Amino acid sequence: MSTQHSRPAVDPETRHRAESFIYRETDLLDAFELEAWLELLADDFTISVPVRASRDPGSEQDEFSSRSYYLREGVERIRERVGRLQKEYAWSENPRSRVRHVTGNLRILDAEGDELTVSNNQHVFRSYGDKPDHDLLSAQRHTVLRETADGFRIADRTVYLDHTVLNTKNITLPLL
Amino acid sequence: MATERSDPSRTDRLVERTESGLEDGRFPIEIINDEDVYQAELRRVFARAWVYLGHISEFEEPGDYARRYIGEDPFIVTRDENGEMHAFLDSCMHRGAQFCTAETGNTSHFRCPYHGWTYKNDGTLQGMPHMNEAYQDLDEEEIQLQEANLATYHGLIFGRIADEGPSLSDYLGDFTWYLDVLFNATEGGLTVVGEPHRWEADYDWKTAADNFSGDSYHVLTTHQASLETKELELGPWEELDDYLEAAYLSCTDSHCAAYYLSEDPETYMGYPEEIEDHIHEDLTPEQRDLFARSVFHFGTIFPNTSYIHGIQSGGWGGPWVCLRKWQPRGCGKTETISWWLVPEEFADDDSFLEDSHSGWNSLSPAGAFESDDLTVWEGISESSGALTHEILESEGNMQQGMGDMTDLTETVDDPVYGPAETTWQGSYFDERNSRMFYQAWCEMMSGAANPEGER
Repeated sequence: MSTQHSRPAVDPETRHRAESFIYRETDLLDAFELEAWLELLADDFTISVPVRASRDPGSEQDEFSSRSYYLREGVERIRERVGRLQKEYAWSENPRSRVRHVTGNLRILDAEGDELTVSNNQHVFRSYGDKPDHDLLSAQRHTVLRETADGFRIADRTVYLDHTVLNTKNITLPLL
Repeated sequence: MATERSDPSRTDRLVERTESGLEDGRFPIEIINDEDVYQAELRRVFARAWVYLGHISEFEEPGDYARRYIGEDPFIVTRDENGEMHAFLDSCMHRGAQFCTAETGNTSHFRCPYHGWTYKNDGTLQGMPHMNEAYQDLDEEEIQLQEANLATYHGLIFGRIADEGPSLSDYLGDFTWYLDVLFNATEGGLTVVGEPHRWEADYDWKTAADNFSGDSYHVLTTHQASLETKELELGPWEELDDYLEAAYLSCTDSHCAAYYLSEDPETYMGYPEEIEDHIHEDLTPEQRDLFARSVFHFGTIFPNTSYIHGIQSGGWGGPWVCLRKWQPRGCGKTETISWWLVPEEFADDDSFLEDSHSGWNSLSPAGAFESDDLTVWEGISESSGALTHEILESEGNMQQGMGDMTDLTETVDDPVYGPAETTWQGSYFDERNSRMFYQAWCEMMSGAANPEGER
């Protein structure tokens, strides 16, 4: 997970458009407007959520696995997942969770050609059913935005979780 | 760990009710979420059973270690400098402090952060600060970490806290025949890839172990949404005319396996064709035939180890192997730990690994299949704890396959199905696996098998 503070040359307008895009896209996830969300994905979109393990201080191994992921999929299976979640018997989200992303520390990590890499921190609140308790997923998200004739499209996303043991029953797409 | 509510005699009554209920395919629903039962399970089941701790491929080098649990007790599994495997309680023998902070790593010594007592990775004492001044009369040999018994089968490492009990091979019994097919299928054996999925949720370990012991029946309802994919390629599942007719259930007296077989004798779960060149010579012709026709296997080794080996239905990927541990974390709480394994022969084949990872992913907490299970399991746990079940002495039902319940299942007697009693369509219409699981539970939980009573 990059924590570099280099400042790639991005003009204020591009920065503003990238921020607006991320906020709007996140709102679609919170609202379960997943068909509209799919429209924002590039045809070669990939998403990865690496497993994180606790390591000894000084260990040369990265905390984030380079081999195992909670989710690593391309656009084809993501479309199937969206179709799946819309079925009434997709019990994981029936009833729908109440989801809210709180997004912060939005930074442009990289700008190259027609692609921008945007980092944001997020706390994702989720409550479910007739219950007072909630889950909280904390993560940093790295999103590659590609400039197209129709505006930005998401080419790639990696979600770096702040959990080594997840404290939630499941992670459905809107929680990422 | 005893709590205010702890009442062994109440637990004994529930175990007796379970034992007699099972004869008629019934069980007291309250045992799924009950503090007294849970406390007794830690002592009577988890302290006395062989519990899965890891796979030998995770401990290749001297000094490799991993933090693993038996019941709720934290153990450190290590390979010492001589290559011997150990499992030590993560608790210093001075004041009981914990000293292992990472999930996995490599070290020759463990140093306690409290007073600096240091142990070698074989569990013996190396020394402590001011040893010569402060411990002139100490018997150093006497100080060593508490150690569990260890045994392995085809690379699967099991640990047991109690000294007394059956050997691992007696404990596994005839079930080794099925484990051979899955964990010793190729010459190179299996190897763990990457790190396991880990997540904790509010469900009981027995719910998961029972489900994996042979419940295909739930797939029709719980997983319907995942089976109705539109664009994905179904692989060997495409060859099956009817999933129900391809299903088998094999139960020994403690452990149980379910599997789907194709008529095509070159199915091999959708593995690349080269798999045929690597089949282990120790497999009998029947085991080889079973593997060759296999599409998907799953099962449970009592108490809390389950596995899958196969290719996922609905086109969600594979083939893959996962070993799962239903790690108790308190009454009504369980951590799922799911390791991904592949045959050594394919461990460097990137294209294979990508497909295999997708299959494993389908049962991650973010997976298309698993995410639906957990919603159901949490509900089981919450409602099983209802006082109404206790007051009205509610009984759940596992009567499928008993008496005249169905004409659809059939006992099959052919060496290709191994030494255990096997029913065709059993994982859909025979709940023998669940009755067997709870009978094994009763045996360990009953006073007769526990002459010393509560510790």
